[in-house]
Amino acid sequence: MKFTIYQESRTGMRANNEDRLAYCYSREALLMVVADGMGGHYYGEVAAQIAVQTLTDAFPREFKPRMRDPFMFLQKGMLNAHRAILDFAGQHRLLDSPRTTCVACVVQNSVAYWAHSGDSRLYLLRNGRVLAQTRDHSRVRLLVDQGVISEEQMPGHPDRNKIYGCLGGQQKPEIEYSRKATLETGDVLVLCTDGVWSVLPADILAVSLKTTDPADAVPVLLGQAEARGGPHADNLSMIAVRWGDTYGADSGSGSGNGSGRGLISTRTMPRDSVTKRIDEFGRQPGGKTDLTEEEIERAIEEIRSTIQKYSR
Amino acid sequence: MSPQANHPLPAGFQLDEYCIEHQLSLGGFSIVYVATSAEGHRVAIKEYLPNTLALRREGQTAPQISEDHLSAFRYGMKCFFEEGRALAGLSHPNVVRVLNFFRANETVYMVMEYESGRTLQELIQKNRSGVTENFLRNVFTKMLNGLREVHSHRLLHLDIKPSNIYMRNSHIPVLIDFGAARQTLACDTPILKPMYTPGFASPEHYTQRDLLGPWSDIYSVGASMYACISGNTPQPANNRLEKDRMIPAMVRWEGQYSDQLLETIDWCLCLNHRYRPQSVFALQKALTEPVDPLPPPSPSPQQKDNWLGQVVGKFRKSRGL
Repeated sequence: MKFTIYQESRTGMRANNEDRLAYCYSREALLMVVADGMGGHYYGEVAAQIAVQTLTDAFPREFKPRMRDPFMFLQKGMLNAHRAILDFAGQHRLLDSPRTTCVACVVQNSVAYWAHSGDSRLYLLRNGRVLAQTRDHSRVRLLVDQGVISEEQMPGHPDRNKIYGCLGGQQKPEIEYSRKATLETGDVLVLCTDGVWSVLPADILAVSLKTTDPADAVPVLLGQAEARGGPHADNLSMIAVRWGDTYGADSGSGSGNGSGRGLISTRTMPRDSVTKRIDEFGRQPGGKTDLTEEEIERAIEEIRSTIQKYSR
Repeated sequence: MSPQANHPLPAGFQLDEYCIEHQLSLGGFSIVYVATSAEGHRVAIKEYLPNTLALRREGQTAPQISEDHLSAFRYGMKCFFEEGRALAGLSHPNVVRVLNFFRANETVYMVMEYESGRTLQELIQKNRSGVTENFLRNVFTKMLNGLREVHSHRLLHLDIKPSNIYMRNSHIPVLIDFGAARQTLACDTPILKPMYTPGFASPEHYTQRDLLGPWSDIYSVGASMYACISGNTPQPANNRLEKDRMIPAMVRWEGQYSDQLLETIDWCLCLNHRYRPQSVFALQKALTEPVDPLPPPSPSPQQKDNWLGQVVGKFRKSRGL
């Protein structure tokens, strides 16, 4: 496998970052995960972290070096994450269990398999066009499908934050699976949270990533998204990967478009090793964890409600 | 900033729905007050006020926190919340009850039940004639009921010592001060400056914190029982690891207490955590086991000269059985 990959997450104008993202790869498979913890719920970031960690932790166990059924892997991983979030809520006696969206993609033998729950998206881009994308599990998406509102009305709609598929909720999560998509050289996969797609139309992503290296394009795109988000910019997270060799070809040409820098070739990796990239998310990059006003209120509220619950 | 003593809130100060009576204790991390609630009940209120980070001058209500310390102050507040969270979910006659938690004066307060009594530390210091076997067994068996409840919530107290065991006037012991308590399975264990009391903290406190478990609290229980008899703080575990100068209870007080009790104390004080009672239940079982009444004191003079001789005598005895 050969590819160039880049991931970045920004807090936007929010108090803290509830997005989480990670990728990892073995000699023959690549996994990418993006999760967006639900802002309205307690501990959204914990839910997102659990989702990302559960999937990436399972990867080394299943991909040594390749996996028989990537869809099965995605299903198992996401359901396990769902249960882990519920367990967390139970242990900490949270009134409302935290939730997170999740989109995850496996590439193996130059075939991409993805699954998602909620409104974090995956785009498959080829030659500057969107070839495929996930369908949000959101109320506005349903309204568009039913023809009640138009695509353009989506971002401003009052129900735009209502999501019905997510990990950690009361119901079993709705998980939607893609078809198998065979990747060609130069194809780009983008996984991102709504902070990105709600302000950046897909064709801008497609054009920007057509020739530019992900490591150059992603920071620029996130900068644009942040600017468009203005004073209310949401958390923004994005992983982009450009595929470096076509199915079956292992001529080592690696040429592609401008993919010289940061090109990862897994050909020389030992069969049983896994490389993982999961960013640290401190409240402050400086190290010390800082409580926001909101978190103080939340902690006090939580303690008080526990006291109420246990006082006889 | 060098630590400066913070001024407590004055008597008569109206704090939320409580009226401050007087200061109960002052720690590096907090001040505890006795106060009266609106309904006239007496309560203990713990005020988060780390004296290295926040300064309250005389006559002030809110502490001054410099810009540089704000982040550390908030971080410490997180630990204070941990304590509140730990206690809020516990409801047990041998564990202090949290009644309320609120924010005021730019810091946070935890309201706990208050009953007249004194700490076990004060009690043993007042009563230097020594504690009886029955007293030890009674107090610790009851206190362990509370600790069992703590452990069953996947919490560790991590700072058990006579001054953290409060004796109500009704002689019921209550575990207090959960400032060091941690959820053992918390997913984001912050890098905390370890809090412990030398002499009562287990060897794991010093060396391998990932080995902390129920057995670590059990070491502290053993050290507390030892201290109740000796009247002094036992040798700290880190020093014991270098050179163990702690005389086994079995050797030091043979004949004054039942062998079974002394053995139990030494069992708790094993340096290797795997050799100690592994659960509170196991320890309680040992403490409630019926024992033969003490044999009449008949010190054999040839064994009394040094403790080594006593140990040898002990081995002879047990071999003879």
